[in-house]
Amino acid sequence: MHDSRTGCDTTTTDAGMKFARAEYWRSEEDLEKTPEFRELMAREFGPNAQELANGDERRTFIKLMGAGLALAGLAACRRWPESKIVAFSQAQAGRTPGIPVGFATSVDVLGVSWPVIAKSYDGRPIKFEGNPTLGFSKGSNAIIQSRVLELYDPDRSRTVHRKGQPSDWASFATWAGEFNTKFKANGGAGLAVLTDGTSGPTLDDMKSRFLALYPKAWWGSWNAMASDAVVDGAKAAFGRSAVAMPFLGKAKVALVLDADLLGCPATGVFHSAEWAKNRRVEAADASKQELSRMYVAEPSVTVTGMSADERFALRRSDVAVFAALVAKELGVGGVDALAGNARAGAIFNDKTKEVFAALVADLKAAGRDAVVVAGPMQDAATHAIAAAINEKLGAVGNTVAYFDGPASGHGAQIKQLGEALASGAIDTLVILGGNPAYDAPADVDFAAKMTKASEVVHFSFYANETSKSSACTWHVPSAHSLESWSDGRAIDGTIVPQQPLILPIMDSAQGGRNAIELLATLTGDEATSSYEIVRRAHMKVSGLSGTAFEAWWRGNLDRGAVEGTAWKAMQAPAVNAGALTELCGKAAAGVGGEFEVGFQIDGKVAGGHFANLGWLQEMPDPATKITWDNALLMAPATARKLGLAKGDMVKVSAGSGSVDAAVWALPGHAEDCATIALGYGRGEVAGRIAANAGFNAYPLRSSASLGGVKSTVAKTGGTYAFAHTQDHGVADALIGNVPTDGVQARLPVLVRETHLANYQAHPDFARHVGHVAHRLSLWEESNLEGAKYRWAMTIDLSTCTGCSACVVACQAENNVPIVGKAMVARGREMHWIRVDRYFRGENVDSPKGFAVQPMTCLHCENAPCEQVCPVAATVHDEQGINVMVYNRCIGTRYCSNNCPYKVRRFNFFDYHKREPGREEGFLKVQPDYYKDIAETSYPIDNPADAFPRMQFNPEVTVRSRGVMEKCSFCMQRIQEAKIRAKNAWAKAGGVDSGQGTWSIPDGAVVTACQQACPTQAIVFGDLNDPKSRVAQLVKSKLSYELLEELNTKPRVKYLARVKNPGVGNTHDCGHDHGDGHGHDHSNDKSHDHAH
Amino acid sequence: MSRFLFPRWSNLVLPTIILAGATVPIYAIFFVAYGFSPKTLEVGYQPQQPVPFSHALHAGELGMDCRYCHTSVEKAAHASVPPTQTCMNCHTQIRPESPKLAKVKESYTTGLPVEWTRIHKLPDFAYFDHSAHVNRGIGCVSCHGRIDKMEVVYQKSPLSMGWCLDCHRNPDVNLRPLDKITNLSFDSATDLTETERLDLKKKYHISPSEDCSTCHR
Repeated sequence: MHDSRTGCDTTTTDAGMKFARAEYWRSEEDLEKTPEFRELMAREFGPNAQELANGDERRTFIKLMGAGLALAGLAACRRWPESKIVAFSQAQAGRTPGIPVGFATSVDVLGVSWPVIAKSYDGRPIKFEGNPTLGFSKGSNAIIQSRVLELYDPDRSRTVHRKGQPSDWASFATWAGEFNTKFKANGGAGLAVLTDGTSGPTLDDMKSRFLALYPKAWWGSWNAMASDAVVDGAKAAFGRSAVAMPFLGKAKVALVLDADLLGCPATGVFHSAEWAKNRRVEAADASKQELSRMYVAEPSVTVTGMSADERFALRRSDVAVFAALVAKELGVGGVDALAGNARAGAIFNDKTKEVFAALVADLKAAGRDAVVVAGPMQDAATHAIAAAINEKLGAVGNTVAYFDGPASGHGAQIKQLGEALASGAIDTLVILGGNPAYDAPADVDFAAKMTKASEVVHFSFYANETSKSSACTWHVPSAHSLESWSDGRAIDGTIVPQQPLILPIMDSAQGGRNAIELLATLTGDEATSSYEIVRRAHMKVSGLSGTAFEAWWRGNLDRGAVEGTAWKAMQAPAVNAGALTELCGKAAAGVGGEFEVGFQIDGKVAGGHFANLGWLQEMPDPATKITWDNALLMAPATARKLGLAKGDMVKVSAGSGSVDAAVWALPGHAEDCATIALGYGRGEVAGRIAANAGFNAYPLRSSASLGGVKSTVAKTGGTYAFAHTQDHGVADALIGNVPTDGVQARLPVLVRETHLANYQAHPDFARHVGHVAHRLSLWEESNLEGAKYRWAMTIDLSTCTGCSACVVACQAENNVPIVGKAMVARGREMHWIRVDRYFRGENVDSPKGFAVQPMTCLHCENAPCEQVCPVAATVHDEQGINVMVYNRCIGTRYCSNNCPYKVRRFNFFDYHKREPGREEGFLKVQPDYYKDIAETSYPIDNPADAFPRMQFNPEVTVRSRGVMEKCSFCMQRIQEAKIRAKNAWAKAGGVDSGQGTWSIPDGAVVTACQQACPTQAIVFGDLNDPKSRVAQLVKSKLSYELLEELNTKPRVKYLARVKNPGVGNTHDCGHDHGDGHGHDHSNDKSHDHAH
Repeated sequence: MSRFLFPRWSNLVLPTIILAGATVPIYAIFFVAYGFSPKTLEVGYQPQQPVPFSHALHAGELGMDCRYCHTSVEKAAHASVPPTQTCMNCHTQIRPESPKLAKVKESYTTGLPVEWTRIHKLPDFAYFDHSAHVNRGIGCVSCHGRIDKMEVVYQKSPLSMGWCLDCHRNPDVNLRPLDKITNLSFDSATDLTETERLDLKKKYHISPSEDCSTCHR
């Protein structure tokens, strides 16, 4: 009898006990059940989480504690500190103190603007939520969520610098006057402007004004994450510029070629929402359920790859060959050079050959309902082939649309600028945002070329590598998007306005202006404020004026989008077969079996732009679960072959340069190649958070090969400590000394998934994956009957991609602290929701698949944590929520020890009072470690130190040291909804109002994680309302409880994952059902005692 | 060397220690329980305000409604202290030259706020919502006392958790009709019959929660 839990083989450990090799595992250590892993599993936290490091440090600690106690005695002898109430002098229209206001604005990520609602609490922006105005824009991602923290970053640039010396805006304005006179006279000869690739109608308008005034000026863009191959591929295929836009929501079959569609910082939310449309298992009749199918071919493991139904682990250069083979099978001509390449034979094994055949058959069958997408790190040939396949399938206009693209790629543009600088043709260079000295291709050698210009103006939010370069003669700090007016284009081209919520929080003598205002200054524009400039541009766009314009403008600001401005898809010209042949021929010359390193757009720092945001640095990477660093990722087999272990330092050398990086073995990665994310490895200049995070891969990148390079890897001998969370919080009931072939073998698994065919035949498979004995409780169960509300949550594993937007959204909403790398390494991360990532299969070298599972406090009705708290600091309220009472907690941590899901977090320190740096020593503290920054003086002497506190959500307690905390189901949002509903009802007359009682409509309470989820995989609501979405989903046959054998009765239910693989999508594939173990009677109480 | 002899008074040491051992802990317990209770520390807290604003005059003698100034009390968690503009609505006409109004006028002209000293303060982990109470029959006087008789406002109630729970467990005695919410001289205990109070309780579904999550989040 095959069993899902034990897989097929067992391994003997040193202790002589047999341990099951689980089918799902978190890491190589988990698969092998190493003694270290077993210890981690048995413990509440990892080693070193609870111990002090060494004698000296312990002594310091005791001294400090002693002093603290003595002072505490004194401090208690008075009323708490006097505080002030400062009301406005003049009343503010439409503002009630303590009632947050939402403003529709937008956030730009890598040139794509995302419409958001920014929540302003008493004038402070504290949270971003997706603005559903565009239909697809309901969710958000980790970067969008974190951008509010950027506003308060104490490391942001605040002072104008002239040649490295502090200066002010007035001096810059004077210089700009001279600039204006000089270049007006010569028509802009010797002038160049480099933007960071952001765009919008207002910036376009300013650009045309700038170029009208200085016609000879050079204008270009460099965004390190933009892809030249997209431009070049389209140019080759169509003979003109074009950008392909896939619509996964319309596709029945998708082939994704090395594109992290679902995890892309700029466009991932859109694609995730589209993808999820065809992935919800909601058909009333299970046998009629349909799902789309996604094939992914990629070198590294991405969010998209983990969500794929079938995945090919292929080296970056082999993906082009793979694409050509698909094209050839579909009858696309001109790809023979690649398809006939020697590598074509090497990229398949028996299993993948079968999958490949299924892929080809699926594409043929789906025809115009299929789509092929090529990724930004692929070469032009792959993009051209994808275009040719889409044309062949007839997908153009259905699952893929083409829009006008840029005439040349950013790589080509910066190369052109580099050449112009080298020739001495550029006298004055204006850099609007970005950081080319750090992220320009190595062969451009931008930092050196910059010195050729006599004046370099660098305008940016951070004083970064470019601003600190000796060539930079002016550094001007930029205002944040929450501090100024502007606009941008959403992913579909819709114009989205950007409105400020707060005045620039910097000295006004230092500017506080944004890019369009800087351009206005440089052009001597009569409009100087961003408000005037944006309105002027919008008058031009709308062609309206006067009251008609005002109405149009107000409407757009209310909606957060300008309706009807989405791009119109262009009529894609036919693919030029001759050009395709030529391109494939060229590409084939570069394909080979040599070791190569590919680059990856990081979902956290996105090329380095957001490197100083602690929320992002601390968010575990969705695939590797590494925090605070990037790594040279490679397959475990490749690492073994090269004699490398996790954490070994290596020197990666390519033609253009070399970098030192540490190795991380990632099961599922393609062999004989490595991948490294861009945007890390910056020095002190990057800010206190970003300093020394990870390894800088830019020196390997050249403008000819922006996606990856052939390189060699040599061990240097050192090792590097990563702080990763893949083995943290192991929720499992396996007990070492109980035989694995007995009771334990029949326990249900944490992740339950099956294939569509199996689901159609057995819609209730999730209920039959194991055996749960009698549901008897060890203690008296909470009586929750008669409650007005029974709050509950469901998490749909079919649509969860593991992107971790929920993790950061929760952090933003609930004042969850950033703890720093050293603390994460000790297992002290504070995230209230984590995303567990599992590999599936028996072999670390060939995982059969991936599974992700968000884990938060499950709010057990029968909660183990409550039974062990000596002071009743964690108890149930009548709505069934397991509440954590901070003011009662004395920090025994018994609750955490007794929590089978390991979702409780302990405040080992006052994390909010310390700088979340990367200090290595345990108690090597910042000078103000024990000082309460905000209360040392009033008003605050150094506002910068208190900046990050301005982001705090006042509706949530800021926890201090020594207390336990955990997910509260966003209690503040529930209370808010309840109080508002009750007030409205009472005001209407109570029972005399015609409504017998007050009620909260379904959907009125939305948790932070639910709101951020791009695929709407999380649903929250009231089980007492049978019509609520959550009540429906809990009743679904797919819903199951984690560790139900413990009889904890969690209020968070999971909906089992249904995948739709191309091969083996038949009756049973590794999942047990109806196997004679007996059934789980959790939903069939009448049988409990007869069992 | 002669033997050391304890002096005679040392016979008293042991009884003294025993006596102290018996009384000091009792004293200490009493001292801590009484001395540290909010009743001792908080009640009666009456700081001097930057402007000698008299509630006795405005709310008492002149009979102004609380909500003329504390506008958000029915809508938000905070009752809110009014902007300077609210004062000047009248004081541009009434006693504009009074020296007591100097700071108010200064604030009005400069745009800088008057810094009032906060009297009623809950710990940061406790979340009280004014609107939830005043909309459902709990009047201002129940917590703040006879503000209309206070020349300088002081804290009337302990605002301790036990005190909150006393009312949450037995709210009937404090319930009043919604039109009497800001009537500080109205006393539910004497001005309403028990039946009337129970009717109010039924009408507004008053069943105050004693869950931790009601106030702590």
